Amino acid sequence: MNALFKAIVPRRLRFETQVALRHLSFGGGQTLLTVSAVAAGVIIVIFITSLIFGLQDRLTELLTDAIPHVTITVEEPEPKGLSSVPGVAEGPASSRIEQQAPQLKFIDNWPQVVQTVRDVPNVRAVAPVVNGQAFVSKGANPVGVSVVGADPELQDVITPVTKDLIAGRYLGLASDEIVIDAELAKDLNVSTGERILVTSGTGAADSFTIAGIYSRGQGRGSAYVTLRTGQSLFGYGTSVNGIYVKLIDIYDADSVADRIMALLPYEAKSWTREFPQFLSSLQVQTASAYLISGFSLVASGFAIAAVLIVSVLQKSKQIGILKSMGARRRQIQLVFILEGLGVALVGSTVGAILGTGVVILLSQFQQPITRVGQTPEQLFPVRILPMYIGLAMLAAIISTVVAAVLPARRAAKMNPVDVMR
Amino acid sequence: MSETNTISTTDSPANTTRMPPVIVETRGLKKTYFGKVDVPVLFGIDIKIRAEEFVAVIGQSGSGKSTLLNILGALDTPTDGTVLINGVDISTLEDDQLAALRSDEVGFIFQFHYLLDEFTCLENTLMPLTIRNGDVTGKERERIIGILERVGLGDQVNKRPEEMSGGQNQRCAIVRALANVPKIVLADEPTGNLDSRSGEEVFQLMREMNRESGVAFVMITHDDRLAQAADRILLIEDGLVHEISKEEHRRRLTRW
Repeated sequence: MNALFKAIVPRRLRFETQVALRHLSFGGGQTLLTVSAVAAGVIIVIFITSLIFGLQDRLTELLTDAIPHVTITVEEPEPKGLSSVPGVAEGPASSRIEQQAPQLKFIDNWPQVVQTVRDVPNVRAVAPVVNGQAFVSKGANPVGVSVVGADPELQDVITPVTKDLIAGRYLGLASDEIVIDAELAKDLNVSTGERILVTSGTGAADSFTIAGIYSRGQGRGSAYVTLRTGQSLFGYGTSVNGIYVKLIDIYDADSVADRIMALLPYEAKSWTREFPQFLSSLQVQTASAYLISGFSLVASGFAIAAVLIVSVLQKSKQIGILKSMGARRRQIQLVFILEGLGVALVGSTVGAILGTGVVILLSQFQQPITRVGQTPEQLFPVRILPMYIGLAMLAAIISTVVAAVLPARRAAKMNPVDVMR
Repeated sequence: MSETNTISTTDSPANTTRMPPVIVETRGLKKTYFGKVDVPVLFGIDIKIRAEEFVAVIGQSGSGKSTLLNILGALDTPTDGTVLINGVDISTLEDDQLAALRSDEVGFIFQFHYLLDEFTCLENTLMPLTIRNGDVTGKERERIIGILERVGLGDQVNKRPEEMSGGQNQRCAIVRALANVPKIVLADEPTGNLDSRSGEEVFQLMREMNRESGVAFVMITHDDRLAQAADRILLIEDGLVHEISKEEHRRRLTRW
């Protein structure tokens, strides 16, 4: 023990460390109180960050799981005023701007586009698609639905269907087969194996066998057919009207979209730009997580400062005698700062262990199953975030040592003649 | 300065050559406590304490004995006048230098032992060395254990103050005061809190240490028998110091 102490503590800090350690080990309730205050601060920070950031991850996952991270389409031509058209003589002019009628937007060279996009870093999957609006009917009452025509193997990575299937299959879809959402199936009162009629906006109509029914629990979803079927249904020939991209790092969507636009003459839209409100609400949550964390650390800092001030007052005679023996101000100050540091190290470690334990415990709770095909999920979408545990410990250590400085300075300034009278 | 009184040492000029060196000297030392009401305590004191001396300081409560002792030990600073400790004028020193001076030259013993509760007897006695050097060598430790055995605490080294008697604690405090091999030990009523038997033991111990090691002792006491056993007696009265002979002290005792 003694050899270990000498190995760890440099000679010029041994007196201070020795006294600080004794104060702590003999401090009893006071030491326990300060250690608990630090631990409580760390537990709150770990709990809040893992809950809020876990919740954000869950929301982001829910949103981005079912959508392409980047969507490549043909740029919608912006109507221009006459004055901005090159070659038109300057002078008074008037223009009436009219929105263009919707047109089919062909990406003819899609195999090259797919190839180019695949080579962009951070891209996980690329799927050429044809999508459009259609009416689906079984007998009477046609129902509007969005239809996506794509190769099931590629598409299943972008907007997973297979994992949400409650009946039938999606992979290996034949050209006369369709996969529909459970809501639609309910509205049409159909099940797998039955045939339904799909009429596209262009007027083309065909009859499909229902190969699978899926449910995502997010309202009515698209109907899925093969790429070839989609092309013929919407009149695209061998072209497509969109290319879906899935990324490895979803938060990198903006830069990937920018890079694609720089490489290709098409419009690339990132999910983050399509859902700016979602991102800003995440930022508000993040800010409140930091705020709560900060407040709890400041509160534990005050508690520690108060207990240390009391301890300095209690030890004033001891401080006096140490000074009479030749202890310098710096040495006395260091004793109490080291005491704070000791409390901080023990408290933040205990807090980190307990906080992580609480989070692990919370992660064990499961949501009650409320709908068919629902996969069991955590009730509290907590995440164990080692970086935030580390940050919480670091912040607690800093705030505790800062809180110890005031009492330590007070101790250093004590006049031995006054305190030993 | 007219009130300043000078005390010549009792040594005769004939044996000046063999006189031990002066450890602490004050010249025109004054001390006033400033507050809502300024309280002048010492009015101009000139004393010399030499090595090997055992000096008793007597006087009424509140006469300024402790104030003088604190200034002699560089714990407090004078309002006016000069204090030389081992030839160094303490008024020229910074806070840290004063601390270093206390560490190297002075040992303190108080009415209460003021041992650190969290440390054992041995650790307490090693504390001055730890403060000064950050560590204690094996040789130093042996020396201190030797002194502890010498004062009858050989079997108490690993006990904490609460586990020892008042007399044992005060003996431990004496060993602590001697740990850094000081030039002078300043004792403020070291027996004041002990029963008469323990008080006597503690005094005898200090006297022996003084004779054996030659370290000077200045001891404030209210015990007239102990004052009689010192080499010199300084009486503080009305903020001034008078050196009185033992006969004078005895005469005053009968008058008091």
